[in-house]
Amino acid sequence: MARLQLDDLTKVFTDDDGGEIVAVEDVSVDVPDGEFLVLVGPSGCGKSTTLRMIAGLETVTSGHIRLDDRVIDERKPQDRDIAMVFQSYALYPHMTVRENMSFGLEESTDLPDEEIRELVTETGEMLGIAELLERKPSELSGGQRQRVALGRAIVRDPEVFLMDEPLSNLDAKLRSEMRTELQRLQEDLDTTTVYVTHDQTEAMTMGDRIAILNDGKLQQVATPLEAYHQPANRFVAGFIGEPSMNFFEMEVQGDQLVHSPGGDASAGEFTYPISTDTREAIGDSVRVTMGIRPEDVEIVGAAEQSRDFDTTVDVVEPMGDENNVYLTFSTDSDRTFVATVGGMRRVQEGQPAVARLPEAAVHLFDGESGEALKNRSLETAEMTEPEV
Amino acid sequence: MSTLDSTEAEGVDVNPYRVGLYLALGVLLLFFLAPIETGIVTSFKTPDAVSTTSPLVPSIQGFTLQNYANAVQQLARGMVNSLLYAVPATILSALFGSFAAYGLTLTDWRGQVGVLLLFVAGIFIPYQAVLVPLTQFFSILGLSKLAIWSLLGIDNAYAGIVELIITHTAYGIPICTILFRSYYKGMSEEMLESARLEGATVRRAYRRIVFPLSTPMFAVVLIYQFTQIWNDLLFALVLVQAESSAAAPVTLILAGLGASQSGTIFGLRMAGAFVAALPTLAVYILFGEEFAEGVAT
Repeated sequence: MARLQLDDLTKVFTDDDGGEIVAVEDVSVDVPDGEFLVLVGPSGCGKSTTLRMIAGLETVTSGHIRLDDRVIDERKPQDRDIAMVFQSYALYPHMTVRENMSFGLEESTDLPDEEIRELVTETGEMLGIAELLERKPSELSGGQRQRVALGRAIVRDPEVFLMDEPLSNLDAKLRSEMRTELQRLQEDLDTTTVYVTHDQTEAMTMGDRIAILNDGKLQQVATPLEAYHQPANRFVAGFIGEPSMNFFEMEVQGDQLVHSPGGDASAGEFTYPISTDTREAIGDSVRVTMGIRPEDVEIVGAAEQSRDFDTTVDVVEPMGDENNVYLTFSTDSDRTFVATVGGMRRVQEGQPAVARLPEAAVHLFDGESGEALKNRSLETAEMTEPEV
Repeated sequence: MSTLDSTEAEGVDVNPYRVGLYLALGVLLLFFLAPIETGIVTSFKTPDAVSTTSPLVPSIQGFTLQNYANAVQQLARGMVNSLLYAVPATILSALFGSFAAYGLTLTDWRGQVGVLLLFVAGIFIPYQAVLVPLTQFFSILGLSKLAIWSLLGIDNAYAGIVELIITHTAYGIPICTILFRSYYKGMSEEMLESARLEGATVRRAYRRIVFPLSTPMFAVVLIYQFTQIWNDLLFALVLVQAESSAAAPVTLILAGLGASQSGTIFGLRMAGAFVAALPTLAVYILFGEEFAEGVAT
């Protein structure tokens, strides 16, 4: 059990031409004891590098890694008391499952063979792989290998678990099963865990908190719901949530926002009136990005308010429980935005529809920096916050 | 496809391309097998039969096993001597090659590329170029002058065996290293990182993971190196020199086998060649399965 702190962690790689590539820049996260932190971001955002620095597989260019207030950046990987689960599972193919799971205990502890045997058997039972202990990895299915890789980490009872996209090699059904199981395991073991994924669903569902990275920079560290409802910037807003948040480039003109795609107000397709509070939140920004989640776009019968817009249904994606409806402001435009409506509601392609964009649900981001100027009002979000 | 169709339809393949191909293959087969067949046939002939019958045709009246008896008798000590250095030199060069490849491929340190280039360069050193420095080096080292030989009551000519072990090990390391390196490059890096995280030192990771997984490559390298070292005449000639030496390797004795002032006994020479080739054949059979696996990877 330990608290893991990353202080201004930076990693600079030097390429063959002597050029410098900043993979991770000033990342600071404080992971309290027992927390499940998910590092999420698109590929190449530096999340794996960050994890490898914590493991000691990459050197730290600057900044520090602390485990229970002890700086560990100079320690060798084997002296950090950290276990890692790799994407490829990295099992030793010539050893049986039992040997695979015993390896770490044999190498890093002085435990007698008998005790190692017991620990491995116990862990095997906990993971439901007790009957596989004498088999070789090549005789196991993907899901079983995954369990062995987990077991190998768990049996060592480390201070911290690191997981590098451990579920990405599994098929969709198995993945969602393992997701739940991993969460349950982590809760039972109560071991500090850093989990890397590019899959925002995994991040949302598994993490106590999620840390969103982009281009090596930390965008936001928050609980999944905070990140969803109160994104710190446009990147987080677009990355978290499926389907993604709708974005419109707007120009501020008095108490209304004029749609100006590519900065060209004459190409705009609608004008959005804003309240005084929203106008204050915008401050001096001239260009803003307006964001609204697909589930907040309502399709109503007729245009009754100033925030109702006539649109045409372009494409309908039935998901069963809900429909993703792609709308356009005019039939000749190829710009679409998404609304999510109930699965039982009949929506036909090519038909006109009225979209209501409620101001309470609107996010505004600065057009230049992407920083959030105003997030959706939180009344509804607070109600859904789980009581822990 | 048309070839297949015509075969099925007529039952006989008259495609001129195929006829030509099989003809050429047959000729090549004869070309390569004829000398071996001649060798086998000759090795069973008496000297009289050799001079009176065609080399390709077996002779029933002139059949003898005496050539093999003589060859074994004359080559036996040479074969023992050859094994004395070929086995240790093969094992040592394979082991050192594996160590070096591990250090150059699966661990990370500065200056790796430079050292690797030295190994690669080592492959291209022509043996002829090192003969003089090599003899000079060993004469300065003076292994044969050590007191240990007389203490143990062994002919000091056996210093030549030690010299051959050292030489063959040294010259075998570069090629073994490159062979192992190509194998290790395909090995999962995550697996070794995992071993490091689990507390294994670089040495322990080699012993418990890399070495056991190298078996197929060891088979390839052992077969290759053993054949090379066993068949080598150049170093044997330079370091042991005389066929009459107590430490003379099999190749050295074979070179003079069946040659006398009264003429060459071809039957004996052929029998000797086959006897001398037996150990390399045995190695192929022993490691054949692993060899195939290692070549395939």
